Amino acid sequence: MRIAGMLVALALAAPLAVPFTAMASEEHVKLDRMPADVSPNDPVSLQRGAQVYVNYCLGCHSTGYMRYNRLTDLGLTEQQIRDNLIFTGAKIGELMAIGMTPKDAKEWFGAPPPDLSVIARSRSSSAGSGADWLYTYLRSFYRDPSRPTGWNNTVFPNVGMPHMLYQLQGEQALKTETLLQPRGGGKKEDALKIEVQKLVLEKPGTMTPAEYDRLVADLVNYLAYVAEPVKHYRQQLGFYVLMFLGVLFVFAYALKKEFWKDVH
Amino acid sequence: MAAAEKQPVTITFAGPLNGALSCALTWVDQRFPMMTLWRDHLAEYYAPKNFNFWYYFGSLAMVVLVLQIATGIFLVMHYKPDAALAFASVEYIMRDVPGGWLIRYMHSTGASAFFLVVYLHMFRGLMYGSYRKPRELIWIFGMLIYLCLMAEAFFGYLLPWGQMSYWGAQVIINLFNALPIIGPDLSLWIRGDYVVSDATLNRFFSFHVIAIPLVLLGLVSAHIMALHEVGSNNPDGVEIKKVKDPKTGHPLDGIPFHPYYTVKDTLGVVVFAIVFCVIMFFMPEMGGYFLEYNNFIPADSLKTPPHIAPVWYFTPYYSILRAVTEDFVWALSLAVIAYIALLLRARAAYAVGVVVAAGLAAFIPGYFFMAPHPWPAVLMAGVATLGLLAAPAGAGVWFRRLLVAGMLVLLAGFFSIDAKVWGVALMGVATLIFFALPWLDQSPVKSIRYKGALCRTALGIFVAVFLVLGYYGTQPVTTSGTLISQVCTLIYFAFFLLMPWYTRMDKAKPEPTRVTW
Amino acid sequence: MADKELDQSKRRFLVVATGAAGGVATVAAAVPFVASMLPSERAKAAGAPVEADIGNLAPGEKVTVEWRGQPVWIVRRTPEMLETIKKSDDKVADPKSQRKPGELTPKYAQNEFRSIKPDVLVVVGICSHLGCSPQDKFKAGAEAFESDWKGGFYCPCHGSLFDLAGRVYKNKPAPDNLKVPPYKYLSETKILIGEDDSKGA
Repeated sequence: MRIAGMLVALALAAPLAVPFTAMASEEHVKLDRMPADVSPNDPVSLQRGAQVYVNYCLGCHSTGYMRYNRLTDLGLTEQQIRDNLIFTGAKIGELMAIGMTPKDAKEWFGAPPPDLSVIARSRSSSAGSGADWLYTYLRSFYRDPSRPTGWNNTVFPNVGMPHMLYQLQGEQALKTETLLQPRGGGKKEDALKIEVQKLVLEKPGTMTPAEYDRLVADLVNYLAYVAEPVKHYRQQLGFYVLMFLGVLFVFAYALKKEFWKDVH
Repeated sequence: MAAAEKQPVTITFAGPLNGALSCALTWVDQRFPMMTLWRDHLAEYYAPKNFNFWYYFGSLAMVVLVLQIATGIFLVMHYKPDAALAFASVEYIMRDVPGGWLIRYMHSTGASAFFLVVYLHMFRGLMYGSYRKPRELIWIFGMLIYLCLMAEAFFGYLLPWGQMSYWGAQVIINLFNALPIIGPDLSLWIRGDYVVSDATLNRFFSFHVIAIPLVLLGLVSAHIMALHEVGSNNPDGVEIKKVKDPKTGHPLDGIPFHPYYTVKDTLGVVVFAIVFCVIMFFMPEMGGYFLEYNNFIPADSLKTPPHIAPVWYFTPYYSILRAVTEDFVWALSLAVIAYIALLLRARAAYAVGVVVAAGLAAFIPGYFFMAPHPWPAVLMAGVATLGLLAAPAGAGVWFRRLLVAGMLVLLAGFFSIDAKVWGVALMGVATLIFFALPWLDQSPVKSIRYKGALCRTALGIFVAVFLVLGYYGTQPVTTSGTLISQVCTLIYFAFFLLMPWYTRMDKAKPEPTRVTW
Repeated sequence: MADKELDQSKRRFLVVATGAAGGVATVAAAVPFVASMLPSERAKAAGAPVEADIGNLAPGEKVTVEWRGQPVWIVRRTPEMLETIKKSDDKVADPKSQRKPGELTPKYAQNEFRSIKPDVLVVVGICSHLGCSPQDKFKAGAEAFESDWKGGFYCPCHGSLFDLAGRVYKNKPAPDNLKVPPYKYLSETKILIGEDDSKGA
């Protein structure tokens, strides 16, 4: 009876051995990683990112949960912010809102350009962080005459946004390359044909690819900061809190040990 | 004892303030059972001395409850329960309210911490038989707390009004839609509207902020009162009250809760705080499991995110819900037939024969006729009924007729009501079946330490299955995932439903009279 | 026994030490909660200084500007109005604005007319009794509340009276003169209310 029971248990447990990897995964575009040498706390990078954002993006994309005066975090004075980053009549304490209403935006663009306050958090996935997604996205636009804007994007197919930074990057095109992967037999005709799509810079812009990548990295760095301005402080505070808790642990442990000497 | 006859309260630790403090406390004690409560529940509540790691989680659960209430109070000062303002108010808390970000992260990390602590607390109960007589009521109160906690988390999750909040609520409320006859009206009543909307948000806010917390506080008090009435269990499952010191009348293996466990639980809280702070300060999103990425997109009733998953602590039950497909209903039917045979104490060979015959009766016509005819189901039900009524069985005649009639009703239900309704039902039963544990466990011993290999294996498999179900609940639907979830669902129920048999069959070891460390 | 005594003092030390550390932890943990009740960035931004353009303000006219949710009156006083102020010294309770100078009357308003420029009065239009907003009664002449009324403000709630420099009349429910908010001139016609040039006036 026991043996029968165990056989049943074994039979029931066997399917658990099915490898977990045997699952279809979501369609994930492979994402580039943000360059490792761009520090999330580098004020120069963040200031540059803020400048790019306000000049190229804020026209359509509000960051309506962020106040202008919070940018003093980046090492700027309020006057510097007023002079360089506020183009509307907004006061220094106001939110970075835009004049376009969502209703008008929908009419003009099809879909309203989303508010980007927390975009770097919402675009995280198993394929990479939100910053990785944004970094890849902003470098993956290509010319596509079939789209109303004339632009398309490999990371966000059929996006309604045109390539705002095309003058800097230049114009890319999506080229399909056919690679031949030779099979065992050795005969050329038997080789496996794999189609690979690549973005190729057809018309250069005012920046070299390396310079453009750095610009995008700074912009994305800024967006990652905007998504959670308190992040750096949070980590710093956490360090001190844990140091203190370590001390508290030593006392609490000694206290417990001392009292429990009584118990046998 | 009359108030005036009570002993005055003596204080010895406050130095020069001793006299004044003693006076004040004596005044209170004459009008409020302060010292009685102190003695009965702390200074003279004798708990077993061999509490181990698994015994920290009860006090930790209380700490997290207090944390959630405190952080909740301060969040509500700034949160706006209005569909147009909610998402923005959360970002307002994160950016504009001084210290708001910390309170928010405490609350979100606390929610997940609550479930982790509660699951570990329940596992302790499973391991050491803390639900056995005379502690069944403690277990029942505990299970009610668990259900309230799930409701509290569900209602709370809508409040940030992100994409995940909105669509999670939409999906779960739509489950009620599936109930026959009353379904659509019930969903309408719960929502207060035709889709999840501002009306839903406002009532969920009320439930989350006041209704359920009050119920939770009441249940937690009842849980602890029931515990203190009977006394705590311990890792050996041995009743310490059975061996008392003749001089003092206290259990020989007991120690007063204060100071020993107040001091030990303080250490527990500090360690918990360390782990909690590591998460809260350095990885509050926890890879998207504690703060889901999709919830940083404001709710959009017109666009469903490509991959909705409930929060991690609901995923095992979500797996069970999704596992019940039309095909699975057949497996379920055979399982029900087999179980009824078991309950009837039918002879093994006959029971197996009935199940195989019923299976063939379903499979053969189904395979050949292909089209959705009721015949395979009717044949299967017929074969099972006749077989079970006729098989030699140990159960009484009327009991047998009742069980077989019940089986027929259930089988009829399986094949006339949509599979998705049975998914909801099975998910509900999967949660509720824990209530039955005190009566399902028929082992002569309480603790896993003295149970035999069969019980240990069963518990081990149950934990594995629970984790596997949880994992698949986070993933999108795939054929292999569904198959594994279905097998795990059957094992999950088998753990409980077969318990009366395997706990009796199990070769238990002799229980000691005194506790061991 | 020496052992037990050592134990007791060690225990006391550990209880005190852990208790103290725990107390520090509790206070530290309370900080974000208490801080969260302080004005948020939104409240501070809404309380930011407000600009008022008085280019079109005619003599004898009053304009009201909102600052921090309060009405701030700007009155362009005529020379006659200024004369009445000089003559009201014996009717008012605190003619030289000596009560609560830090709170009610900044340095640049510590003068005859309680303002930076004599012809422009800037005061918060809230009665110092219980917070109602008084009515304008600029015309001099006999009134029900005062036979020899020289012009100023009348609070309808409990009858307090203020002259054209915002000074409270004697024997009225209101104890204090009207508050002069921090303000400064950005130009001849622009006043910034909420910010002044002095350091901590």
